[in-house]
Amino acid sequence: MLAAAVALASTAAAQDETPVPDGRAAAIEQAQAQKAAHLHEFEPNKVEKFLDQVEQTLLSGGIHFHPFFDSALAGGGFTLGAGYGRHVSSYNIIDIRGSFTFKGYKRIETAFLAPRLFERRGSLLLVGGWREATQVGFYGLGNENTSKNDRANYSFKQPYASGTLDLWPTRKLLLLRGILDVAKWDVGAGKGDEPSVDQVYTPQTLPGLGATPTYVHSQGTLALDSRPGPGYARRGGYYGISFSDYHDQDGLYGFRRTDYEATQHVPLLRDAWVLSFHGEAQLANAANNQTIPYFMLPSLGGGSSLRGFSSWRFRDRNSLLLQAEWRVLANRFLDMAVLYDAGRVASRRSDLTTAPLKSDYGLGFRFHGPLTTPLRIEFVKSNEGLALVFSSKAAF
Amino acid sequence: MTRTLRLAVVAAVTAGTLVSGAGTRFFGDDPLGREPESRDASRAKPTDIGLLYEISYNLFVTQSRQPSNTRARNVNTIDEVPDSSWFTNRILPRTISAADLVRGPNVGAPPNPDRWVITREKSAGASPGFTATDAGGETWFLSCDTPGWNEGASASTVVATKIFWALGYNQVETFITRIDRSRLVIGDKATVKRPNGKRTPMSADDVSATLERCARSADGSYRVTAGRLLPGKVLGPFRYDGTRPDDPNDTVEHQHRRELRALRVFGAWTNLSDLKAGNTLDTLVEIGGKSVVRHYLQDVGSTFGIAPPQGPRDWDDGFEYFYEGDPLLKRLASFGFALSPWQTGHYTVYPSVGRFEADNFEPRAWKPHTPTLAYLEMQPDDAFWAARRVAAFDDATLRALAHTGQFSDPKAEAHFADVLIQRRDKIARTYLPAVNPIVEARLSAAGELNFENAATWANAAPAPSGYHARWFQFDNATGETRPIGDTRAAGLAMTAPGALPSSAGNMVQIDITAEGNAPAAWQKPVHLFFRRSADGWTLVGLDRER
Repeated sequence: MLAAAVALASTAAAQDETPVPDGRAAAIEQAQAQKAAHLHEFEPNKVEKFLDQVEQTLLSGGIHFHPFFDSALAGGGFTLGAGYGRHVSSYNIIDIRGSFTFKGYKRIETAFLAPRLFERRGSLLLVGGWREATQVGFYGLGNENTSKNDRANYSFKQPYASGTLDLWPTRKLLLLRGILDVAKWDVGAGKGDEPSVDQVYTPQTLPGLGATPTYVHSQGTLALDSRPGPGYARRGGYYGISFSDYHDQDGLYGFRRTDYEATQHVPLLRDAWVLSFHGEAQLANAANNQTIPYFMLPSLGGGSSLRGFSSWRFRDRNSLLLQAEWRVLANRFLDMAVLYDAGRVASRRSDLTTAPLKSDYGLGFRFHGPLTTPLRIEFVKSNEGLALVFSSKAAF
Repeated sequence: MTRTLRLAVVAAVTAGTLVSGAGTRFFGDDPLGREPESRDASRAKPTDIGLLYEISYNLFVTQSRQPSNTRARNVNTIDEVPDSSWFTNRILPRTISAADLVRGPNVGAPPNPDRWVITREKSAGASPGFTATDAGGETWFLSCDTPGWNEGASASTVVATKIFWALGYNQVETFITRIDRSRLVIGDKATVKRPNGKRTPMSADDVSATLERCARSADGSYRVTAGRLLPGKVLGPFRYDGTRPDDPNDTVEHQHRRELRALRVFGAWTNLSDLKAGNTLDTLVEIGGKSVVRHYLQDVGSTFGIAPPQGPRDWDDGFEYFYEGDPLLKRLASFGFALSPWQTGHYTVYPSVGRFEADNFEPRAWKPHTPTLAYLEMQPDDAFWAARRVAAFDDATLRALAHTGQFSDPKAEAHFADVLIQRRDKIARTYLPAVNPIVEARLSAAGELNFENAATWANAAPAPSGYHARWFQFDNATGETRPIGDTRAAGLAMTAPGALPSSAGNMVQIDITAEGNAPAAWQKPVHLFFRRSADGWTLVGLDRER
């Protein structure tokens, strides 16, 4: 190598008669003089320019258009959507967004988020919109007496408006949440391959069939939340209780519901593994002399509860869901999980714990950031078949 | 000069490969002690490198590149790095007093914390903090510790700053000081960049939001590091590959600068895992009537066991890149049962030290978050050069440096120093015996040759049974050699086999290998070149055969 470099230098020097320097420092200075004649500003390549632009856009609040994958209701199938968000002040955002699915589910809404209230002890989310679901599954009430072949469909169109106020009085751990929303349920015949609910049931056999209630829903939640974030966590837990009142303006279909929820993540072996547990019970009671319509009953099934079963597969007055995951850290951005879900619905609360549970198991992959899970893919097996779950949210 | 010649000159200029018009191998000014910066660089413009681009490029492009096996191009003819705007020889070629080491880069007075006036939010680094002026009106960059990990970030930053200064890098003057909330005021022009991209006046709540992310001491104050504003015009980070196209003095591609390659060793020692361009800084300063670009390792706070602002570093920090295909597949295939070393090692954790250990530390296996090209290009002789400097920190020195971290828990300080010492020894044992470790050769006028073995000096390898030297007359004009004879010795000294030329300008070449049970690398000769002057023999060349 040394000989080659020497020969190269000598030959080149001979060709253009450049004087060869007489000292090491002089040689360096000669090279510097040559470079000085060809100085130019640094010019990033196209890829760098593009990624810099992306980064600047993300950091400067300049990002406006964004994908939106929330469908009108779970079970709508693959969802396409987009939103346009814009800061209206230093921190507050207005976001207009919409989505649709190939089953005809539609959602359009405007959201206002104030994430920094009360000296960073609270946030407020206001949402107003309209949605339509064309073929929501209904399989009958209860666990044992229903089959996936019993599916009937209903549809609904719904204008809605809601406000959610989160308060963190101690800035962390203790969460107080209040929700107030108004929604009109314009429920009708279902579309799709399965029969419509009104072809299978009558108002006498299915509570709430034909009802179009308008609910004023108020909810209060008290929780302890020690997770780094609800979108992705490898440690910490969430323990909360929520009380909801669904007030029907016509006094026919009002009810109350109590939700108990617990989540705990237990890291093992330096976070390489995480044992994650989640339990949730929903207990609904009809208001005096009123009825809980079938489409408002607690339910299980779908990509965020009993994942091996179809969305809305089980419905009844009470539900219990137990989930466990063994999460394996593949690297900082990808987790794999072996998952197990069990749960049931029941008309009597005592049956939640005494009767057999429906269960499923599966394997999942999660692409995540430090606090978010943009993509969750799961293969889940139940006695009703194999389900493929795609989601842009964490399982729990 | 053609581009071809320019490249050849750049490639050869400090590596001892350039010949003069007369064809001599060594110039009269060899070995070069300082890399000249002859041209005015005032046209250099500020540049930046985006985090997204740098991380993506390093993980998905640089990681897949193969090293070029190129010898470092900024070494002089005796295989050392000359002083430059990048690097200043400090710890090895000369003895640094304990006082100098403890002082480090700090030549000015510490900040006066009687009053802090915030001028804006902290713009660099992940630690919470402020840019503020002290009671004396001087600007400082303040960074605080993570709650629950009190003293950790500040101790790491201060100790690392002094270590990297001693190793030869330009460092920011950094002090540990305090913020008292009652003496902290918001400057009239202080602003904060909001999520909407706009700057608005800083509020008291903004200050509270920052301080809530800072560890608070028992007396209510906040311990912080204060970095002095660098002199000159800020030009942004330097890159670990290529050169600055607007700096005429920057002629050696950065991936071929030994001091940047050597960060693989220094980074391993100190766990400087956040090794990225974003943590470097170029400034334009006036020296001798012209503008020169000076290069800084600006942010060495993510070192040892702490990774601000999260507190302790992640478990896999120093063991894996952010993304690597093999470990990922291995874990997926085994459901995580294929355990990595970072999952099983023992840590003694102190809040002020974080996760810093030596038992599972393997210098060759150490990895930063993302690989730089300079990191990949490191050659065994670069690693040897770096390891000599690491080994030059004796135990007492390291304990004195640890003490500058102002740990309130003596056990934490002792543990910190112990780990540094153990990691130092592992680096020495890994890299010093990996090449023929002959150094510091001296030839007396009487023909007495003395040298050192860097590996045995550092107790990194047993001494060989002996050394063998082949002596030659060396013709600097033609490169031809004429044998003088062979000598052997059991120790680190031997006498010339015959009379050496005595007139000024004559040169001898001595090839030294180790004998007996020495490692294979020691059988490859080190070529020493001495030039005769009226005063005796001067070492002008040292080549470690590869």
